[in-house]
Amino acid sequence: MTTSDQLGNQAQGTQRQSGIYVYGIVPADLQVDDDARGVGDPPGRVEVIREGDVGALVSEVQIDRALGTPDDLQAHEYVLDRTASIAPVLPMRFGAVLTDADSVATEVLRDHHDEFAKALSELKGRAEYIVKGRYNEKAILSEVLSENAQAQALRDDIRSKPEDASRDSQMALGEIISNAIEATRQADTQTVVNALEGVASLVNVRPPTHEYDAIHVAMLAETDRQSAVEQALNQLRENWGDRMQLRLLGPLAAYDFVVANAPGG
Amino acid sequence: MTTAIQPAGGGGAGGGGSSSGLADVIDTILDKGLVIDAYARLSLVGIEILSIDARVVVASVDTYLRFAQAVNRLEISETEPKGLPDLTGDAVKGVAKSKTQSALDAAGQKVSDFLGQGQPERQKATRVQSSREDQ
Repeated sequence: MTTSDQLGNQAQGTQRQSGIYVYGIVPADLQVDDDARGVGDPPGRVEVIREGDVGALVSEVQIDRALGTPDDLQAHEYVLDRTASIAPVLPMRFGAVLTDADSVATEVLRDHHDEFAKALSELKGRAEYIVKGRYNEKAILSEVLSENAQAQALRDDIRSKPEDASRDSQMALGEIISNAIEATRQADTQTVVNALEGVASLVNVRPPTHEYDAIHVAMLAETDRQSAVEQALNQLRENWGDRMQLRLLGPLAAYDFVVANAPGG
Repeated sequence: MTTAIQPAGGGGAGGGGSSSGLADVIDTILDKGLVIDAYARLSLVGIEILSIDARVVVASVDTYLRFAQAVNRLEISETEPKGLPDLTGDAVKGVAKSKTQSALDAAGQKVSDFLGQGQPERQKATRVQSSREDQ
């Protein structure tokens, strides 16, 4: 068993106040820059605890306060995503803390060594990318209205009455818009999924997180083929114009494709 | 394989992807990622985030009324029936656009009645397509 001397010593001296925050599982030969900054305030120094062929990306964290500030969340993802752009990494869910470096080496790495090693080799050369699209409010509402005579009639009814008197029409119109956007979202999402076929090895359609969300799709793709992913999205942008804003996030750690103890599914 | 992690705050990720904002991070890391089953020693530290509920999309009365109000705003500023100059222009949008298109369809129909089939139909298709691209 090989663990970081520094972390081991620190953990012994301050066992009650600090723990070892675990970001994710990496190949044992991953090296971390000295100035990589982790969660906590002041930010913990990111290191690798190694066991056989696998390692854990960790930093020491004070446990006298709850984690979860914006800085903590972004540090967690930043450490993982920087890693994902250069090496396979199995991301842990935010907030995993073990008591000391020995626990990480034995309970996490040794007990799961073979499945981690297998999952890492499956992930090699690939990373997660997320496609996010947000409808332009004016464009999508105009689109829905132009395709739906009932919505136009309701809009005219609302216009012709005082606000209080048109409440039923407002509700009915809102429901039509809501359903129409949902249907449009599904169709557009399918278009994106089809466009990514061939460049993405796995796709996970995420639920929308905003009323005007158009696309929320995570994919696993080879980092070497990122330009093909970008090309596919550029084609969609061209087709859709200012109807929606389409963004690509990544390369990211494979958050959507590493599940419980069965990574890769 | 020798690899390195850059310090946090060092700018956007490499390559063409845009960097993640906090909202993107929250969508991703709070309910996804590996959880080890040997949970006796591994624990989730208390997470101080109360605003997650607000991010859940639920079709509700509020949502409907917001949509209706958005349509109302839109109508005043964007889709008022346009005068003739706008109808003939290229940047016709929304409801006015659909009226323009049916007018074009009708015109195309009439022209093809005069000229027979083929070319006028193609012109009509081109014009409708270019008005979409302007959207």
